Amino acid sequence: MSLLRALVLRPMVREKIRTTLTVLGIAVGVAVVVAIALSNQSALRAFRESVDAVAGRANYQIASDVGIDENLLIALQPLWSRGLRFAPVIDIDGMVEASQTPIRILGVDLLSDIHFRDYRYASILSGTSAGGAPAPSPARYLDLFRTDSIIVPATFAAEHRLRLGSPLALSVLGHQTTMIVRGILEPRGPATAFNGSIGIVDIAAAQKQFGRLGQLTRVDLIVPGEEVRSAIARLLPPNARLERPSRRNERVEKMLRAFRVNLFALAGVALLVGMFLVYNTVLISILRRRKDVGVLMTLGASPGQIFAAFLAEGLLFGAAGSVIGIFLGDALAFLILRLIGRTINALYVTSEPQAIVLTPTIALVGAAVGTLLSLIAAIQPSVEAAHVRPSILIRTGLQQRVGRARRSVLAISAVLCFAAAAAVCRLPPVDGISIAGYLAVLLVVAGFSLLSPLIVTVVSSALRKPMRAAWGMVGQLASASIPASLRRTSIACAALALATGMMVAVALMVGSFRETVRVWVDQTVSSDLWLRPAKGLSNADIALFPASIVDDLRRVPFIAAVDPIRGRDVTYGDSIIAVGSGDFDVVGRYGNLPMVTPRSSQPALQDALLRKCVFVSESFALKFHKRVGDSVELPTMRGVERFPITGVYRDYSNDRGVVVMDRGLFIRAFQDDKINTVVLYLKKGVAPEEARKKLEAAFGPKYHAFAVLNREIRAEVMKIFDQTFVITYALLAVAVIVAVLGIVNTLAALILERSRELALLRILGMSPIEVRRMILLESSILGLISIMVGLATGYVLSWILIYVINKQSFGWTIEFHAPLRLIAVSLSITFLASILAGIFPSRLAGRIQLPTAIQGE
Amino acid sequence: MRVRLEHVTHIYPATDESPPVQVLTDVSLEIRSGDFVVVMGASGSGKSTLLNLIGAVDRPTSGRLFLGDQETSSLPESALTMLRRQSIGFIFQFFNLIPTLNVFENVAFPLSLNGRGRGEIDGRVREVLDRVGLPHRATHFPGELAGGEMQRVAIGRAIIHRPSLILADEPTGNLDSRNGEMVLDLIRSLHDESAATVVMATHSDRAASRGDYIIHIADGQVTR
Repeated sequence: MSLLRALVLRPMVREKIRTTLTVLGIAVGVAVVVAIALSNQSALRAFRESVDAVAGRANYQIASDVGIDENLLIALQPLWSRGLRFAPVIDIDGMVEASQTPIRILGVDLLSDIHFRDYRYASILSGTSAGGAPAPSPARYLDLFRTDSIIVPATFAAEHRLRLGSPLALSVLGHQTTMIVRGILEPRGPATAFNGSIGIVDIAAAQKQFGRLGQLTRVDLIVPGEEVRSAIARLLPPNARLERPSRRNERVEKMLRAFRVNLFALAGVALLVGMFLVYNTVLISILRRRKDVGVLMTLGASPGQIFAAFLAEGLLFGAAGSVIGIFLGDALAFLILRLIGRTINALYVTSEPQAIVLTPTIALVGAAVGTLLSLIAAIQPSVEAAHVRPSILIRTGLQQRVGRARRSVLAISAVLCFAAAAAVCRLPPVDGISIAGYLAVLLVVAGFSLLSPLIVTVVSSALRKPMRAAWGMVGQLASASIPASLRRTSIACAALALATGMMVAVALMVGSFRETVRVWVDQTVSSDLWLRPAKGLSNADIALFPASIVDDLRRVPFIAAVDPIRGRDVTYGDSIIAVGSGDFDVVGRYGNLPMVTPRSSQPALQDALLRKCVFVSESFALKFHKRVGDSVELPTMRGVERFPITGVYRDYSNDRGVVVMDRGLFIRAFQDDKINTVVLYLKKGVAPEEARKKLEAAFGPKYHAFAVLNREIRAEVMKIFDQTFVITYALLAVAVIVAVLGIVNTLAALILERSRELALLRILGMSPIEVRRMILLESSILGLISIMVGLATGYVLSWILIYVINKQSFGWTIEFHAPLRLIAVSLSITFLASILAGIFPSRLAGRIQLPTAIQGE
Repeated sequence: MRVRLEHVTHIYPATDESPPVQVLTDVSLEIRSGDFVVVMGASGSGKSTLLNLIGAVDRPTSGRLFLGDQETSSLPESALTMLRRQSIGFIFQFFNLIPTLNVFENVAFPLSLNGRGRGEIDGRVREVLDRVGLPHRATHFPGELAGGEMQRVAIGRAIIHRPSLILADEPTGNLDSRNGEMVLDLIRSLHDESAATVVMATHSDRAASRGDYIIHIADGQVTR
């Protein structure tokens, strides 16, 4: 204990700046990881809880992507006596017309559904029951069964200013309907799903109002045992599946997995940089206290005790940083949730994120990650401290140089890392996650870190003459002092280079991706106008047009062609994919579908029309190993159908995989003639702005249609794209901040260690300003080397991100494009930050007391 | 350069670990320009503090200190820096060479700080290295030199800018007797060749014998 006090605890308290900077570095790294975990949890919990609330007590459900014939209920009836309970459900998305916000419509048999879900009425139209008032008589409930009745949660009613008897205009599956609020629910059970944006109607009313006569979305089941389950399985129609309600959660979680893993990988960068910080801090501790270590070892302290003491230092830094990081992360999660919530809504599932809740598991994971990584970072320097002979440690003026031989070993190890990275890049993804890609990133980072002592030595030597020419002796001393403390400077440099490298890599990846998407959007969005049943892009799936709009539009004299687009999610094995449709003839004549194979879309589209074939997106082809000539099996109204593939096209709107087919084929397969969006091609000479006005005047009242111009669509797509990557930049900025803290820490430690040398320079006639300038030049050289190494690291990493990780995780081909201005700006910021990092240590250097520093004389 | 102290007292202020320490008490003395003076005293007697005050490294707590006609105790820090840079040469017990510079650059250091041209620096450094007997070591780094060689480099650095005051604090304290003699001979002959005042602190009688006269110091006071 006295050893720990002498070597670790007292110095930690005494050297407040070093302790604070290190703890802060770890805290920021842990905070980012915790914040990502919390916000991910919150975003997904909202979805999971909604599914659970709607599923109620059901332990199984019969689900289908194309609807279920209600006659299935008759087939299930004999199993009632064997304990089976079943409830028919219509579960569909709709939109509140007034607010243009989504609402989930749950159509249930209000009488039998009590077996499955809890409904507690706060009030119904003909009386109130809440707060001890007498419960309404059964007769009063009858109004709820009327075809225009809807029951909404109290929260929803308050938010939309609805009372009992209020009309509620809805757009559901292309049907514009006004329902009357006849019941208000207390917030429990299904009333809590989808953040309370849910409306419950009687199933018969739902079938009638929303055009689903004879159809169900699913059947919820309480299955008493395996025997009954097998009996149900035998009754299933070909397009239906018997599964646990949680399967939907699992599919959604799988769909989001690559997105989440990518976020954690980015958060890991900050943590990795934090590890460098701990490594450097422990190393500095050992170097500064080498004399004390020597004395203690001479007095009988064992190498094991010395090792344990310095390892404990790493542990203490890790533990303190983790605790602060967990609370910091909890605060930060709110911001991150806003950023990722937008992305999840725009690209994956509609889900209103829940409040952030710091769970013990996440807190524990945060603490474990921070502490463990700090401990790992402390191992190597602690081993070194324990193995040095006391006589060497006691000797004054010991130079901590990395010998030439050691630099060569490090360089050879670096080359081996690069070779290993190149090799693992060829490995396939594991369960949709690019493990090989992440491993290659780690190997490249390790390679450049191992190379950094050599690079620091070579570059600072090369800079010696120019620095001398520009700043005289001050410049020469600055360039010479960096290799003189190579262990510390190269670690600080590697940390900043890592953060800079990741920043450059992501800038290159996002820049390339953005440019690819921009070209793709320009090529794909060639129509003049889009007609949509809701404002904005993200509401596209919750409102639909009826098929009749196509005929009406074809009669408009200034329209040359109409392409109705319809898409729906379909279960494909363990995944959820999108099946889309359009008029292939119009696409062939007017559109411009960017193809992977074959090169030209026209013949393939014609072929698809003739032979009832489909196109698949590139991500689908990569994910499910399909190519032209193969076929894809989809669950349709007629059971599982096989569709040959005649084309693979590029699609950056969706990473789940898309199958597209001609509208005729789609309607036959899914009995679904609704439309999400109508793509319009105008006749020559017609001004789109004019056409928009006329179309909105003609179609606005009848179809609640909004017209969107080509350029507005393009702008909207790019806006969603940019929103998606805000989080990426934010996470990397954090990593750079941690790395800059590392530079401050290293320079401050170097100043304290070199106080005698700096005092000597002052005695020999160097002014405080010149000393300060020298330190600033040192931090500038460190910054310069870091951004050079960072740039090289960034280019290599961007290659892995674009051609390995991105391709394996999302299945997209991205053309390489360097956003030079963005890279120049981020490098300048990093360089500026590294110079600023020198300010505090340079002030320290200027304040050195000369007589005290040379007291040994 | 003439050195004059009038009633100089110096107290090191208190720190976390120690109370204030009075190291010099009411010291008055005068050293004539061109003298080679030896300051003698036991460890902790105040020799190094006296040299620090004379060398403008520190300021007296009270009293006045003159270098030439200039009272240094009232000069601002920037003026003290310029004084050290231009007029004073330092020789230390532990040599204190700059480890990142080679022998040539270490010797050239004061000239570089004074902004001298490359041609002048080259000529002067070669001349001084010849004088201290190390022309063949010009490109070597301090870590590659023996103790005596390091001190000769330090002496070269102390005289390169032709200072009018050279301060040597135990210059032989870290050397064997043969190298110590060599260094003392060198300092003496350099003094004889120039008009510089030399103040050398030592507790070695043999070293002290090289000076023109001795100032004895004990418990912070000049005794003889």
